[in-house]
Amino acid sequence: MTERVRPATVYALVTVLGLAAFLYPFWLPTGSFAAQAHGGDAPMWAAVIGALVVVALALEVRRGTMNGAMIAVLAVLSAIAGLLRLVELPGNNAGIFFMVILAGVAFGPRFGLLLGITAMVTSAFITGGLGPWLPFQMLGLGWLGAGAGFVGRVTERLDPRIEVVTIAAYGWIGGFLYGALLNLWSWPFLRGEGATLWRPGLGFAGTIEHYWSYYFATSLAWDAAGALFNALLILATGLALLPTLRRFAHRLEPAVAFS
Amino acid sequence: MQAHTERPWHAVTWLIWAIAATTAIQLASSPVYVVLVIAIAWLVVAQHSIDGPLSRAFPILVGAALIFAAMRVVLTAATTHGSSEVWFTTPSVGMPEILGGFDVGGAVSGPVVLQAAQESLVVVGIVAVFAAFNAVVSHYELVQTVPRAFYELGLTVVIALAVVPTTIEAVHDVREADRARTGGRVVRKGRLIRQLVPVLERGLERAVTLSESLDSRGFAHGGSTARQRGAGWLGLGALVALGGAFVALVGREQPAALLLAGAGGVALVVAVVLSSRATHRIRYRPRHVSTADWWCIAGVLLTPVLLVTLVISGDDATFVWTPSPVQWPQIEIVAALAFLPLLAPMTRTPSTAPVPAPEMSVA
Amino acid sequence: MSAITFRDVSFAYPDGPVALHDVSLGVEAGELLLVVGSSGSGKSTLLRAVNGIVPHSTGGRFSGEVTTFGRRIEHHRPRELTEVVGFVSQDPEAQLVVDEVEHDVAFALENLGMPATAMRRRVEEALDALGIAHLRRRTPTSLSGGERQRVAIAGAIAAAPSALVLDEPTSQLDPQGADDVLAALARLNADLGTTVVVAEHRLERAAPLAQRAVVVADGRVGAPTAVGAALAAYAGAPPVVQLGRLLGWDPQPLTVRDARARAAERPGPEAPTGADSDTPAASGDVLAAARALTVELGGRAVLHGIDVAVHSGEVVGLLGRNGAGKTTLLRALAGLREPSRGSVETRARVSYVPQDPSSLLFSPTVRREVAETLALLGRRDDAAVDAWLDRLGIEHLADRHPRSLAGGERQRVAIAAVAVGGAEVLLLDEPTRGMDAASRHALERAVRDHAAAGGAVVLATHDVELAARCATRVVVLGDGDVVADGPGPDVLSGSLFAPQVLRVMPPFLTVSDVEAALARERR
Repeated sequence: MTERVRPATVYALVTVLGLAAFLYPFWLPTGSFAAQAHGGDAPMWAAVIGALVVVALALEVRRGTMNGAMIAVLAVLSAIAGLLRLVELPGNNAGIFFMVILAGVAFGPRFGLLLGITAMVTSAFITGGLGPWLPFQMLGLGWLGAGAGFVGRVTERLDPRIEVVTIAAYGWIGGFLYGALLNLWSWPFLRGEGATLWRPGLGFAGTIEHYWSYYFATSLAWDAAGALFNALLILATGLALLPTLRRFAHRLEPAVAFS
Repeated sequence: MQAHTERPWHAVTWLIWAIAATTAIQLASSPVYVVLVIAIAWLVVAQHSIDGPLSRAFPILVGAALIFAAMRVVLTAATTHGSSEVWFTTPSVGMPEILGGFDVGGAVSGPVVLQAAQESLVVVGIVAVFAAFNAVVSHYELVQTVPRAFYELGLTVVIALAVVPTTIEAVHDVREADRARTGGRVVRKGRLIRQLVPVLERGLERAVTLSESLDSRGFAHGGSTARQRGAGWLGLGALVALGGAFVALVGREQPAALLLAGAGGVALVVAVVLSSRATHRIRYRPRHVSTADWWCIAGVLLTPVLLVTLVISGDDATFVWTPSPVQWPQIEIVAALAFLPLLAPMTRTPSTAPVPAPEMSVA
Repeated sequence: MSAITFRDVSFAYPDGPVALHDVSLGVEAGELLLVVGSSGSGKSTLLRAVNGIVPHSTGGRFSGEVTTFGRRIEHHRPRELTEVVGFVSQDPEAQLVVDEVEHDVAFALENLGMPATAMRRRVEEALDALGIAHLRRRTPTSLSGGERQRVAIAGAIAAAPSALVLDEPTSQLDPQGADDVLAALARLNADLGTTVVVAEHRLERAAPLAQRAVVVADGRVGAPTAVGAALAAYAGAPPVVQLGRLLGWDPQPLTVRDARARAAERPGPEAPTGADSDTPAASGDVLAAARALTVELGGRAVLHGIDVAVHSGEVVGLLGRNGAGKTTLLRALAGLREPSRGSVETRARVSYVPQDPSSLLFSPTVRREVAETLALLGRRDDAAVDAWLDRLGIEHLADRHPRSLAGGERQRVAIAAVAVGGAEVLLLDEPTRGMDAASRHALERAVRDHAAAGGAVVLATHDVELAARCATRVVVLGDGDVVADGPGPDVLSGSLFAPQVLRVMPPFLTVSDVEAALARERR
């Protein structure tokens, strides 16, 4: 029994803590920091927490099957997804998203989670994007991939066209959420009294207002374009790519029968 | 003949350098010091960068960060209205309630702009430091240094990086085959699928061959041993402790929060060690952190140490620049000198001579 | 007691047809066994069953027993057999895991948890056994195909296994690389006593190295016998064996030297005089030509001002070492490369079939793949699709998924998919790489028919036998210049590209030439 409960608990805690670390601007009370100057440390501490959370996740993920086929398929798809990030698309991330989402649908939630992590690391190496933001990108894309896996479980039985539209809708929403959450990391670097700036202790509603204004002015258009492109790519390629991916699913968990 | 450059510094040394530089920026966020760190990063890249697309990424990344920074300064200036030292006034537009109900435009005040610029520059500084890190480190070496607990993930990234050049070749081949099919003409309709599917299929078929090679060569992940299980429970415990730390923060119990966070961190470290011990792999000729590397690490860590000393001794007036009233940021020579140890990696230049065969020494 | 035994083994892939039927086989310790069979015959499945990849990594339904050096593979996964059997497959680019040769060779040892000093020694031994110690620091992407395969073999023998299993290790390599790999295998077998089981299409080089051979067809395996006997009835046997079969030589020769000895004892038919010889008809109009063509790639001139013309009704064999510029010339003729100087003139449509068919295939069925080309050109012509499927002998595969087909069949699909566009000039780049005999025959027939109908075909190839059989004209490129250009028999007779039959019984080029001469004599 513990073999099922522990991983589930770990994944749940990772999600909650990861979100909490992401969303610290919303709930961090003023009393926690001695001087205004230390408010600027908050993003770095969040990055450290994010890294710790990823470490815990990596330890847990290791306990399940990781045979040669999984490593090989993960590696190849990470390379393709990572390279796609180099392609200049609106929103900059659309290429890597649609690959991870489609692979998550085809191979399952655990694979989607792993692919999100490895694809993000690989693309960080390729594009020179290693930095304190990486744990959040890894978690974000991992969640996106895992969610796609759950979506895939449900849509497997549907008509292929309906399935692709559903996945595209998921990709649209996911792209948006990803952009909004990632933006949070660097927002608090700007502190002050302004209407788009962060102040610890504004309270939940106040912080949301400020963040919404900031988001609207800076990234909304960008992320909207990215999310839309994401959905379009899935619509355009899903029908052809999903069967291709699914053909290889049996090698990840070979079923042997002896007689 | 492509020789592997013998990199003078271990990947871990570079990582510590990056962390030290980032910490320095956080400690002394005045623009003069941040610009100093960016300059140091630029020098290091100029000397140590590995030939390839990543070294060219450095100016691009810094440029992109600067553009973003400028955007945010403009945004802040337009939406924050302090009353002192107005530089100029623009016509203002009131935003509808749904977007926050504030005014865009109006009085643009100097201190606000400069404060925003200072804080944006900090982000640019962090980007510059890590872009430099990417340009000079051997990624393969970096992944090799990862603790054995994360071996499978590290191996996946190593293989992915190794597969990247062949994937790029595959894309070229596929594009050419597509053109050749129609006698040299490019048919745009449906091109995405015609090119994406073969690249994906080729990659997956390659993955099958690779997995057979991995299996035949003994690749296996650790089973469920006592150490693995212990590591699993410790990981869970660490997460619970971190959760508790957050709760304590909300409840304004800062000491409890720090304690729980510390406990969580320690538990994770032990979990990683346990999980590493569970794997029976031995690394072949790993690159050890040499004495020279330790000296470099010690040198590089001097910078944050010196800065902290200055803070404690109260000599940190110039570290944070408060531009209200508007004034030039001050620079203090002693503080500036404290950044020089970040130049430690420049004491060795990379060599590009082909590496001769090594002697039979024990790793 | 054989080292490797199969007893009544049957196997079917998951949701696939049966690949092995009641196979029983015994491999002796220390021998070099050659496994021969056409694409899709079950060769690969058989080899993978030796170390357990079939069925543990592939999945499927397995019955029977396989014992490898005392271990039953039904109870052992491939990773438990690393120190017993090493495995190498045919793709040199897909087997290497790590970015540095030395570390890749050590990969198996790292997995086994060997102590560091033992690891060092084993790696040095493996590097020396394959003669690649000078490559230890290189990145795999900077190596040639032959070098990469040798690194893969070194990685497989690093754990000092008693046996080595190789699935067509030389099929993706040029002749030089193939020679290096086969020589290394012979050395391993002779010096270290490693049992080697190798599947090959390139029997000219591999046959003399083996002690015994076994033929696989339709999932059934014959008993291992002497190589000559096993190849006697095999369609894809090398020319000297076919010659021996034709002229009734006994024992079967496997090398050119043996064949010469037989020919001295029992000479074959008389060489035809000028009047009888089949000189090809005078060629027709020029369909495509390169004039003073210079092509530069990466700052280096790959082709130096060459003149080549392709006439209607010709089959041009384009020969030359790797890097001599064959592929570049084909690409320039197809309009895929801009000439730096000089020009390319085409008076007819030109289509190019690349080396790797998997770059082209993306449709769910073979028929749709071929029809797709027409759709891209804005036409629809089911008759043409059927005609080409027929011509290449793949009409029975029309509803299969192209990527589920074996190598030779896939290449034929790719050729059909390009040729159906109706181009008069077909440029084929290494079409017979990794192809089995049946596919080769179908290809040769299609090529000859296409030329006879007024088109032209240019075959860039390393396969001299192919050029000897099909080409009416042969052009040899060396370092970017045209070194020889003339009627097939003339060019091939003089050069180091002589086919086997020519070396044994000049002036005959192919076995069919000898057969025709025999028929004439009997008249």
